[in-house]
Amino acid sequence: MRKQIGLKIFAGLVFAFLFVPLLIIVVTSFGTNSTIQFPIQGFTLDWYGKVFENQSFVNSFLLSLQIAFWGTVLALLVGVPAAYSLARHSIFGRNWIKSFFLSPTIVPGLVVGYSLYQFIVIQLQFPLIQGLLLGHFLICLPYVIRVVGSTIEQLDGSIEEVSWTLGCTKLQAFMKVVLPNITSGIFASFMLAFINSFNNIPVSQFLSGPGVTMLPTSLMNYIEYNYDPSVSALSVILMLGTVVLMFVIEKTLGLASIS
Amino acid sequence: MSYVELKDIRVSYDHKNDILKDLNLSIEKGELVSLLGPSGCGKTTTLRVIAGLINPNDGEFLVDSQNLTKVPVHKRKFGMVFQSYALFPHLTIRENVAFGLKLRKEKKNVIDQKVKDILAITGLEELGDRYPKQLSGGQRQRVALARALVIEPKLLLLDEPLSNLDAKLRVAMRIEIKRIQSQLGITSVFVTHDQEECFSISDKVAVMNKGIIEQFDTPEEIYKNPKTEFVARFIGFENFFQLTRVEEGKYKAGDGTIFLSTRQWETDKRTGTIRPDDIDIVTGTEPNENNTVSGTVKVRTFLGKSYQYEIETPIGALLVNESDDVIYQVGDSVTLSIPAHKLIIV
Amino acid sequence: MTQRRIPYLILAPGLILLILFLVLPLISIIFPTFFDGGFTLAHYISFFMDDYNVGIFWRTIKISLIVTLVCVLLGVPTAYYISQSPKKWRGLLMSLTLFPLLTNSVVRSFAWITILGQGGVVNNTLMGLGVISEPLTLLYTEFAIIIGSVYLFLPLMIITLVGILENIETEIMEAAETLGANRLIAFVKVVLPLSVPGIIVGSILVFTGTMTAYTTPQLLGGNRNIMLATFLYQNATALGNWQGASVIALVMIVATLVVMKLFNVVAGRMDKRGEVSA
Repeated sequence: MRKQIGLKIFAGLVFAFLFVPLLIIVVTSFGTNSTIQFPIQGFTLDWYGKVFENQSFVNSFLLSLQIAFWGTVLALLVGVPAAYSLARHSIFGRNWIKSFFLSPTIVPGLVVGYSLYQFIVIQLQFPLIQGLLLGHFLICLPYVIRVVGSTIEQLDGSIEEVSWTLGCTKLQAFMKVVLPNITSGIFASFMLAFINSFNNIPVSQFLSGPGVTMLPTSLMNYIEYNYDPSVSALSVILMLGTVVLMFVIEKTLGLASIS
Repeated sequence: MSYVELKDIRVSYDHKNDILKDLNLSIEKGELVSLLGPSGCGKTTTLRVIAGLINPNDGEFLVDSQNLTKVPVHKRKFGMVFQSYALFPHLTIRENVAFGLKLRKEKKNVIDQKVKDILAITGLEELGDRYPKQLSGGQRQRVALARALVIEPKLLLLDEPLSNLDAKLRVAMRIEIKRIQSQLGITSVFVTHDQEECFSISDKVAVMNKGIIEQFDTPEEIYKNPKTEFVARFIGFENFFQLTRVEEGKYKAGDGTIFLSTRQWETDKRTGTIRPDDIDIVTGTEPNENNTVSGTVKVRTFLGKSYQYEIETPIGALLVNESDDVIYQVGDSVTLSIPAHKLIIV
Repeated sequence: MTQRRIPYLILAPGLILLILFLVLPLISIIFPTFFDGGFTLAHYISFFMDDYNVGIFWRTIKISLIVTLVCVLLGVPTAYYISQSPKKWRGLLMSLTLFPLLTNSVVRSFAWITILGQGGVVNNTLMGLGVISEPLTLLYTEFAIIIGSVYLFLPLMIITLVGILENIETEIMEAAETLGANRLIAFVKVVLPLSVPGIIVGSILVFTGTMTAYTTPQLLGGNRNIMLATFLYQNATALGNWQGASVIALVMIVATLVVMKLFNVVAGRMDKRGEVSA
């Protein structure tokens, strides 16, 4: 392939733009100075220890994991059957219903969180954590509908029909024939939903309170009053998490399946 | 009563246009019956009604005197082979074939034996542990067939099973299907739009058009004596001309020529038809004789083993296939003989 | 007949949850903004009569437009470069693009604090070189929000575009070249028009994303460069003005829908092959 040198340089600069800031964070996490400096003086791993000593980081990390996990599970439980129904049955107003299922992406996250807080927590007196879980369920659902839906649409519908002729009920056919063949889609949507829920801030912003703070929110609050390399260290840990997840996805599905 | 009976089946999706219009079909035990027709004629719909994948709006469906109209698909126990083969991608060939038997909770050694037997019959012994995507088109086809047959179905349903294969394999597979079908003596319904494939494999053929069966006969009968213009056109009759009836077996064309037909005719039919192969170009015959018409060569096409001529005549343009013994030129005047024993009135 | 209800039954849980926890909450906050004794638009009229509010509204639109434009300008050539790379390279480049996208937005915004801040990388470098004597005010400016948002959304634009550009066969470029176009002309006349659907979808994502983003303007914008999302949060928490927050919420939703519609109309004009859906 012939390649124009100008285009190559341009793309190189864009990638530099994308990665240099992250590299700077990585470097600053090793500095000995109590505020962030670049270039750094000295070398220490202390800031990584400080991250794990910070109770609010640890607690909010655990909460983030749980909320992202259960939000995704709930979205799968509700979304997989819905995606199946939308893909396979002649539903009245099918396109409208599908758009409706994808609509949480259209409503700004902060508004989703705000309205849930107002309605569920203030008016209906739900515990804050339930509101948070529901908010993250709403983040996750569109990923499930979109990814699992397209996986089912790509699956040859006659394999279900043939399983009926061989004696499967509709439920058996779904469990024995459809489900085993859409596991990659389910896994991909799980990963996407989980990552996006874990990283999301706007939805959680209103649904936070004492003891109920997600990790990104906790980090953001910390940044407002602190400027020490433990922020860099936590950032690096989160980036490592991203690398691990990407590696897992690449090895199981190939990254192409989620981009 | 026949083994399989479809009585006044009507299928409509929107309550306006009927996909099937009061369709009736009887199939004897052990027969292989084809549903032949162009796309949209209702042949696949008919098969899906039989399978139980579509519930008819009206009508009854019986097998072995049992009314199965309301019996759901998974309780009918028919084997079905789909156009896409529809093999389960996540199961090995052996597991694909055993799928239906496992659902019936048969004993493991019984399942193993039956799977082994059917893999042998279909020539798949070596491939049991492979996955569908590791097989060729023809092999997948056999697996689909084996999977449908192993459950010992009362009926075998085949939905254009050969259309995804290349031409050579298609011929081999249709012989294979016929062999296995007659070996097991299983009553079968075969859907196709390919008349050669259909004639070669079937005991009887139902030619379908717009939701009705135009003719239900043996392949020979349909080939020789199409009953309707649609059937005639579908199986290769290309010359059609209007006639008026004089008396039984005697007709008059627009230009006054008398045509005699010794073939089956019904009193209300008025269109004469004949295959291009059956018209002869003759010399030395007087014009105005019965069953002859004179004309001019308009177009000549080389077909390989013969030439095809388009000839302008007083009763319309006629297509004629002739061997290369005598080659006519465009513009030549010729006389055509339309033999009484080849002229069909539809 | 019960068979016919099954598809709807398995849709029902999702529909019910969405209605209960998305639609009803939204109605519950939006509805009161139209009522003050009787039906009224007073809250919206007074919102748009207030110069301060309108300033925030237009700043949000302006910043979103600039960010979208920059993302298109940087994204199209980069995406084209990726889509034309050999297959093994393409996977790596896509992973490199995906990585920032999957990294937390707080982390990505924080990176720019360390770069643009008073003692940040840029100021340190420039002062070290003697170019400036006093640190420049880069952080807590519109510029900081713009660069942070571009940084946030550029990967999304690139990935969306690569998806479209990959489907353009290289033969099309070659065909254009055989007809006498040089590579630049072929790019402008052939690749660019074919990538319009990708540009539109990417622009919708970037524009609405920037317009409704909370993290980046909060961290990089400071108190003087408020955008709609931060304004909503401020109204609701610091000012306790729930009514005002709800008004902003609807303004954001409507603006998002209007922008999507506008982009689709533009797409429909430019791309005769049919509507782009996002």
